[in-house]
Amino acid sequence: MSSVIWYLYEFAQKSWAEKFTGAKSEHDIVEKPDRFRDFPVVLKEYCIGCGACTAACPSPTAIKLVRDKDTSEKVGRVYPVINNRACIRCGFCAEVCPTDPKTIECGENHLIREEFTILPVEKHYVIDDYLCIRCKKCLKACCVEGAIKEEDNRISIDPSNCISCGDCLESCPVKGALKRIHMPHLDEQKEIINMVVSRLEKALEDKEEEIRNLPRDKLFKMELPLKPIMDDSLKILSDEELVQDIIERVTDRMKLRIITWDESKCTQCRLCVKECPLGSITYSPDSGVKRDPDKCLRCSTCYQTCPFGVAGYFVAKFLLDDQKDDGKIMITLKPSLLPITEPIPENLPLQESK
Amino acid sequence: MLNTLKDIVRKSSIHVCLVNTGGCNGCDIEVVALLSPRYDLEQYGIYVHNNPREADVILVTGAVTDQWLENLRRIYTKAPEPKVVVAIGNCPLTGDVFNQEGGSVYAPVSDFIPVDAEISGCPPRPSEILEAILSVVPGAIALKGRQNK
Repeated sequence: MSSVIWYLYEFAQKSWAEKFTGAKSEHDIVEKPDRFRDFPVVLKEYCIGCGACTAACPSPTAIKLVRDKDTSEKVGRVYPVINNRACIRCGFCAEVCPTDPKTIECGENHLIREEFTILPVEKHYVIDDYLCIRCKKCLKACCVEGAIKEEDNRISIDPSNCISCGDCLESCPVKGALKRIHMPHLDEQKEIINMVVSRLEKALEDKEEEIRNLPRDKLFKMELPLKPIMDDSLKILSDEELVQDIIERVTDRMKLRIITWDESKCTQCRLCVKECPLGSITYSPDSGVKRDPDKCLRCSTCYQTCPFGVAGYFVAKFLLDDQKDDGKIMITLKPSLLPITEPIPENLPLQESK
Repeated sequence: MLNTLKDIVRKSSIHVCLVNTGGCNGCDIEVVALLSPRYDLEQYGIYVHNNPREADVILVTGAVTDQWLENLRRIYTKAPEPKVVVAIGNCPLTGDVFNQEGGSVYAPVSDFIPVDAEISGCPPRPSEILEAILSVVPGAIALKGRQNK
């Protein structure tokens, strides 16, 4: 009942009557927007009669090449004629037209020209905008005009102009602000990264006892010589520059989650088996729940899932001290980041429920 | 007097039946866009049916395929007089991309039923369809209605 009254009240108002009688469509529904690709326009005088447009056209009857009649003075002109009754406005004809300026114009797509370099590059140089201090030393060092540009107070490298000489990398005063990325041997690069990370994890695992008994006010520090890692990496791929770049990128200023696995606490509840995104935790009736560290993604989902504190993790920080002969990786660890290893006292005063 | 009254009624309520005789459905989607609040087809007195017996106007989209040859004529005969046929899109006009060598479409539609208005485009914009229907159909219906008297 109240809704009926409300309706009557609504309809009785003057503004409703005004809106009802004055309703009309917006005018822009009859206008074509600027971006709309309409039927192609032919500019006869530029045509060279190559027939590329007719070959590209998906509709069999849309474009025909026509030739004017020869006169005594001039040979007849060849040009395409577009049948609007069959054209699908795809703009392919304009895109393939090789003349400059184009004989056929359709939309805007064909005006975009792709830039390319003739130099095949194996190395890309990239500026990390977060670390870059805008000193512009790379800009001065660059020997190619326009390869390094400054736009909106940001320095960037244009890969289509860069010749990968590496002068910019040498001039850069900030470690890691300018990076060299290697394009070939991707699988080997992955293998090296995996090897280095598992080596670092292994080194920390060996010191487990020491880390466990770390006092709360001390910092755990250790150094790892770079030489053996370097040598093993060179066995995978014998490109010294590439290996050096990768190891630097992997270890320098890296933070790594180290997953700890205390099997003695495990009750075989198998909650973690389903949660692991990579399937690195498996269960079989014979061996129970097992974790495969090689497959592990270090996401720490198992740590969040496990109700018994089997899985734990801590964060270790790495820094590369890159000297020519005896380079070393420095590892630091804060005790506040370590997982709680002591068992929770059983008679802990719980909050009383009201 | 009666005739002018009939003219007014015929012009102001146009009942339309959409027939796709084997196209890609693109034009049908543009017609559906016409039904949306942005274009609001019914404010012009155009109503869409799926039944040719209720329609004055048959909108044909699509090239005519083998299966549609007879059915298209049947649909045409079922629409009550006076009736108008509007071909939407390039398919009913030339067969468009389906009219390949060795293909089995029978374009144009005007070979089988008389077509009163043509709208080119693949697909045409909704506003173009609306414009064509409004500029041709009311007059054509009124004219045909008087001729059949």
